[in-house]
Amino acid sequence: MPITKTFALGAAAVLFLAACGSGTEPSDPSAGSETLDNGMTVRAQIEARQDGYKTIGRNFKTINDQLKTSAPDLTEIQAAAAAMVEASAGMVDWYPAGTGPESGVKTEALAVIWEEPEDFTLKVSEYDTALGALQTATTSGDFDAITAVARATGSTCGACHDKYRLDD
Amino acid sequence: MIAAMWWTAEQGYMQWHKWLGAGLIGLLVYRLVWGIVGPRTARLHTLIPRPSALIEYLKSLRSLQYRRSFGHSPLGGLAVLALLGLLWVQTGTGLFSVDVNGLASGWFGHWISFDLGRSMADIHEQVFDLLLAMIGLHLLAIAGYAIFLRTNLVTAMITGKQDGGTASESDWDVKAPVARVMIALILAACSIAGTIWMGR
Repeated sequence: MPITKTFALGAAAVLFLAACGSGTEPSDPSAGSETLDNGMTVRAQIEARQDGYKTIGRNFKTINDQLKTSAPDLTEIQAAAAAMVEASAGMVDWYPAGTGPESGVKTEALAVIWEEPEDFTLKVSEYDTALGALQTATTSGDFDAITAVARATGSTCGACHDKYRLDD
Repeated sequence: MIAAMWWTAEQGYMQWHKWLGAGLIGLLVYRLVWGIVGPRTARLHTLIPRPSALIEYLKSLRSLQYRRSFGHSPLGGLAVLALLGLLWVQTGTGLFSVDVNGLASGWFGHWISFDLGRSMADIHEQVFDLLLAMIGLHLLAIAGYAIFLRTNLVTAMITGKQDGGTASESDWDVKAPVARVMIALILAACSIAGTIWMGR
C-alpha cells in the first residue's frame, strides 16, 4: 500500500471516529412498556419527568432573563417561581426503580441515582429548600436579593446534574 | 483559544467562556473581512476549488508528484472553508445556547425560548466534536506534507510567505495595505462590542 494511501486512510479513520463519538445511543422504541407500581409505564414516567424538568428550566430561564434586564417584571418573576414550585412537586418520586438507563428508554438519568438514594434525596430536598426561599424572595421587590437566591437555586440544580445526569 | 473555550465550558466558568466567545467573534469577523478585502491568497472566493483542479491535485498527491501551489492548494482551500464554517456555526449556536439549569446562557440567549436554547446547546456540543476532528485532520495533514512531501506549511500560515511557489508573486495582489488591515480591525472590534452591548 502506498504511503499516501495509508495516510489518507488514517485521516478518514479520524473523521469516522469523531462522527461515532458525536452520535447518541439509539434507543429502542418498544422499550419501557412495563407498568410501574404507580400505574405509569416506565416510558411514561421517564417522559413525564423530562417534561417536568423542561417546565422548570423554562420558568427558571424566565426569571433569570428578567433579572438581567434593567427593569425586571416582578409579576412575571412571581408567576414563574410559582410555576417552578408546582412543576417540582414530588420530584424525588419521579425515579421509581426501573426508570434508569437500564430501561432502554432514552434518558440522561444515571444509574448512580439508585445506587446512592440517600444522597440523591438530600440533593433534591436542598433544591426544594432553595426553591422555597426563591419564591419567598420574589414576594419582595428586592431584585438583588432575588438574584442572589436565584443563583443559589441554580447551583442546587447543578449539584444534581453534575453527579446524577449524563454529562453533556 | 479553542482549548481555553473547551476548558472554561468543562469547568463551568461560563462568564469567561462568554468573554472568550466574544473575542472569537472578533477573530472570525476579522477573517471574514480579510477574506473580502485582504490579499488574493486570503480571499474566500479563491478558496473554492474548481472540481477539475481538485481532482488533478488529489492525483498529484497520490503519486507524490506534488507541486507547490501559490496560496492554498485546492484541498487546503476546502479545509480552510470547512474550519471557518464550523467555527461560525459553533460560535453562532453558542451565542444562543442555554444551559440545562436555565441559569447561564449565551450573549443572546434571552432572545429565544428555553427549548430552542437547549437545541442550540446540543448542536453546540456536536459541532465541537466535528471541529476537533477537523483540527485533528488539519494537524495530520501538516504532518503528512512535512513527512512525505517535505513541505513546511506552518511558516506560510504565519508569515504568508513561502519559498518555491510556482506562480510569480508579481501576478498576484499579495500586499496587505494598512488601510485594509484597519478596516478589518475596526469591524472586528465593533462586532465584539456589539455582541457585549446587545447581549446579556
